[in-house]
Amino acid sequence: MLYQLRNVSKRFTKAKETLTIFDNLNMDIPEGDFVAMMGPSGSGKTTLLNILGGIDKVTSGEVSFAGNRIDGYSEGQLSEWRAANVGFIFQFYNLMPMLSAAQNVELPLMLTNLSGAKRKENVATALNIVNLSDRAKHYPREMSGGQQQRVAIARAMVSDPQLLLCDEPTGDLDRTTADEILTTLQVLNRELGKTIVMVTHDPEAARYAKRTLHLNKGVFEDKMVMA
Amino acid sequence: MNDFTIIWKNLFRKKLRTTLMLIAIFVAFFLYGMLASVGQAFDSPGSSDDKNRMVTLNKINFTQFLPISYYDRVARVKGVTQASHSNWFGAFFQDNKNVIVSFAVDPPTYLAIYKEFDMPDAERKAFLGDRTGLAVGRAVADKYGWKVGQTVPISSNIFSQKNGSHSWDFKIDAIFDNSKVKGRDGLMIFHYDYYNETVSFGRDNIGLIVFSTETPAINDAVAKNIDAMFANSPYETSTDTAEAFSKSFIAQLGNIKLIISLVVGAAFVTILLIVGNTMVMAIRERTREIGVFKTLGFSGQRIFTQIVAEALLLSLLGGLLGLSCAVPALLLINKISAGAISGLTVQPIVFVKGLGWMVFLGLVTAALPAWSAMRLNIVTALGRK
Amino acid sequence: MANTLRQISAITRINIKSIPQRFWMSLSTIVAIALVVGVLLGFLAMGNGFKKTLSSSGTKDVAILLRDGSDSEINSVVMREQTQLIEEAPGVARVNGKALVSAELYVVVDGKRRTNGIKANMPLRGLDSTGFALRPGVTFSKGRLFRPGTNEVIVGSGLVREFSGFDLGQTIRFGTSTWTIVGVFDAGGSVYESEIWGDVSVVQSQFKRLNSYQSIRAKLASPDQLAALKAYVDKDQRLKLETRSEADYFAAQAKQSSDLISNLGWPLAIIMTFGAVAGALNTMYSSVSVRTAEIGTLRAIGFGGFPTFVGTLIEAVILAAIGAVLGSVVIWLFVNGLSTSSLGGSFTQVVFTFSLTPRIITTAILLALLIGFIGGFFPALRAARQPIAAMVNE
Repeated sequence: MLYQLRNVSKRFTKAKETLTIFDNLNMDIPEGDFVAMMGPSGSGKTTLLNILGGIDKVTSGEVSFAGNRIDGYSEGQLSEWRAANVGFIFQFYNLMPMLSAAQNVELPLMLTNLSGAKRKENVATALNIVNLSDRAKHYPREMSGGQQQRVAIARAMVSDPQLLLCDEPTGDLDRTTADEILTTLQVLNRELGKTIVMVTHDPEAARYAKRTLHLNKGVFEDKMVMA
Repeated sequence: MNDFTIIWKNLFRKKLRTTLMLIAIFVAFFLYGMLASVGQAFDSPGSSDDKNRMVTLNKINFTQFLPISYYDRVARVKGVTQASHSNWFGAFFQDNKNVIVSFAVDPPTYLAIYKEFDMPDAERKAFLGDRTGLAVGRAVADKYGWKVGQTVPISSNIFSQKNGSHSWDFKIDAIFDNSKVKGRDGLMIFHYDYYNETVSFGRDNIGLIVFSTETPAINDAVAKNIDAMFANSPYETSTDTAEAFSKSFIAQLGNIKLIISLVVGAAFVTILLIVGNTMVMAIRERTREIGVFKTLGFSGQRIFTQIVAEALLLSLLGGLLGLSCAVPALLLINKISAGAISGLTVQPIVFVKGLGWMVFLGLVTAALPAWSAMRLNIVTALGRK
Repeated sequence: MANTLRQISAITRINIKSIPQRFWMSLSTIVAIALVVGVLLGFLAMGNGFKKTLSSSGTKDVAILLRDGSDSEINSVVMREQTQLIEEAPGVARVNGKALVSAELYVVVDGKRRTNGIKANMPLRGLDSTGFALRPGVTFSKGRLFRPGTNEVIVGSGLVREFSGFDLGQTIRFGTSTWTIVGVFDAGGSVYESEIWGDVSVVQSQFKRLNSYQSIRAKLASPDQLAALKAYVDKDQRLKLETRSEADYFAAQAKQSSDLISNLGWPLAIIMTFGAVAGALNTMYSSVSVRTAEIGTLRAIGFGGFPTFVGTLIEAVILAAIGAVLGSVVIWLFVNGLSTSSLGGSFTQVVFTFSLTPRIITTAILLALLIGFIGGFFPALRAARQPIAAMVNE
């Protein structure tokens, strides 16, 4: 099992008021899964994705990744863990505007000990997979939304993480481009065995996943949440 | 690609803004380079003086003369190894605005003390043997385009010749450099004997006596002995180190150091405010990107370091450029003024202190934005709450 | 037209209201400009104070005669015989048949600065009662005139202010001679207030200059008699003196020194101006970029480009004006009127006060407004030219 959430709760305290996002949530994600997570605004799906990505912490409960408890990790440990295990894909791409496509893709490799030559090779491979080899030298502002999102995908997978987390990856794209992006994700899942968790509003997008979970007010409405 | 690529690209992502900041920093350090060097030159006018070099002056004021007979008496004082004397001549060339620092001296003894006045042996020999000879410092020779062998008329705004003329003809026998402090050679010297025989008044007077002691340790004792020797004589004396004399001489102009500190301080406060604010704004604009960097696994410390490095790079780029441009600017001033402020170059100490200020500027302007970037919460940064 | 003005005022209001949002940025521009203004004012006030002191020292109806080729009293020597020739010269005023001619000795002695105790050159002037007659503005604030033939001296009030050891009743030693201070005098803020005065014959004997003086002053029958005196002096081979009116003599010295100070102050201010302009541009560009959406919205609902331009420019000029006022007020309060001293033309200390004039302040304020104008112009151009759609969508 890649990911196990046990009795996970998340609460925010703001201006003396405590807001519970979810309480005693349980979830399993096996290796090689492709989960689409749907739900209305405020259902807690973004917070859940943040927790899965190790950029937010649970208030209580256990979070295990590949058999290791990560809920007690410090900021620094989480940083290293993210660099090694997680790739993020955002709705608005979040590329660095001052860096070229290739440089954007190379960013995660700066956190590894790979040699310069090896890095170049990995960047080229990643760009090849998303079919953007000819755009390596282009800057984000010179590319379409779909191209930028493909650069973001290349960046997410260049260091070969097991888990890809996608937050509305097609939310800002037209149907055709969205389908291209989703196909690419599907390829990554099927051929490279990446585990993917994707938050989306779009039922069409969800169809590319192996399964779909529905979150509402912090509660899963599905039966197959646990393996 | 490495961290430097990111720092560099961040720094120049808004070229106009960065250029404007660079200009402001450039200006501040250009001013600093010039003014600190001027301050340095004023602060240590005697820095090329040996520690055992001393001067004896008329106690009333250094513009009052001493009789030449005092020179022989000082030379014989115990602990004095070499003595000489000099007279201020009030020289100018052609126009009375072209003032040249110049002294009537006893050349063999004078050059034995001022060993830093470095000239070729042949020229030295010619100068020592030529009663109407003139030895010219490099800065003066360069300004007026004088060459060895030339005869030049030098006027005095104080003295006149017995024949009524205010002008003396000198043959340039030697051109010298200051081997100790480069550029501190904006003066010229000639033979006291020639001056003394031709001058219409003030014969057998000397302006000051300069001498070397065996060791700086006995300076005070020697000074005391000399001044005691002439106490209650018609010309009481005051003896001090050459360095102290130069300092008090310069201090007459007023508190130059204070003025310089105020101007440089004003310039630094200006850039501190401008750069500091701009850095805060620039980093705030990058909040989201910093969140992404962190999401990718970049640690807070690494981002902190990047921002500090960016600010340091900015202040070093602008600052070094400004300091470097101060060098030719000072050379230009030196040339125009013929070394009026002697030894006017960007001294190593000014450079080192300047570097220190650049680092200070970089650290101070980076501190707040780098700290908040390091502490920045990813979820907040990405607007994912 | 009225519409344009309304638009300008609306945009200016919006801009100014949003200044607090960019408080630190705007403040840094104000301070940068205030510092430039302060530096310039400081130097100009210094130059002006120096000039005022020197140029108030001379009058047109007194001629000063120095050895040919000397620009200042310290470098000059005149002999008793020459003095006698001047007493017989045409154009010189006479009272009861006695020519109003004052031969004066001018020697440099040491004083110590009150602030740091460092030695400085003080002028000791030897003169007689005729010398006093040529300087009608001299009044005693303390004590009395020296008695002729004694080692009594009087000192100028400026000198007492800046240098120690010259208070009433104190004795001072110059070499082997000892002198008693019996009076402190004012001289209308002139350079004489920086001098020590003693009886000419006593100073001559104590300084071993029995037959020589440094200068001759002659009261002219009227200012236009200067030419007659000059012609007489130039013709006589025994004189070899240069004749000037006292006013011209001090004016030349004033110009030399105050030019030097201004020549230092202006380049510094101009160099700093570049820095301040860079800062102002920076502030205004960011001001424009922060308000891009607002400006775009205004443009979209029909505001013109020109009012946008002017509104932004006004914001910059207002910041500069605040800076200018700030700088001027600080200098006015803390620097104007400060007393200090520096070397004058005769290689002695001249005590003077920093002195601002409306003209100097106007100059500095104009410089500040120029900084504001340049700093606002280009960002204003950008604000006015940006495509509306891009602005609204940002």
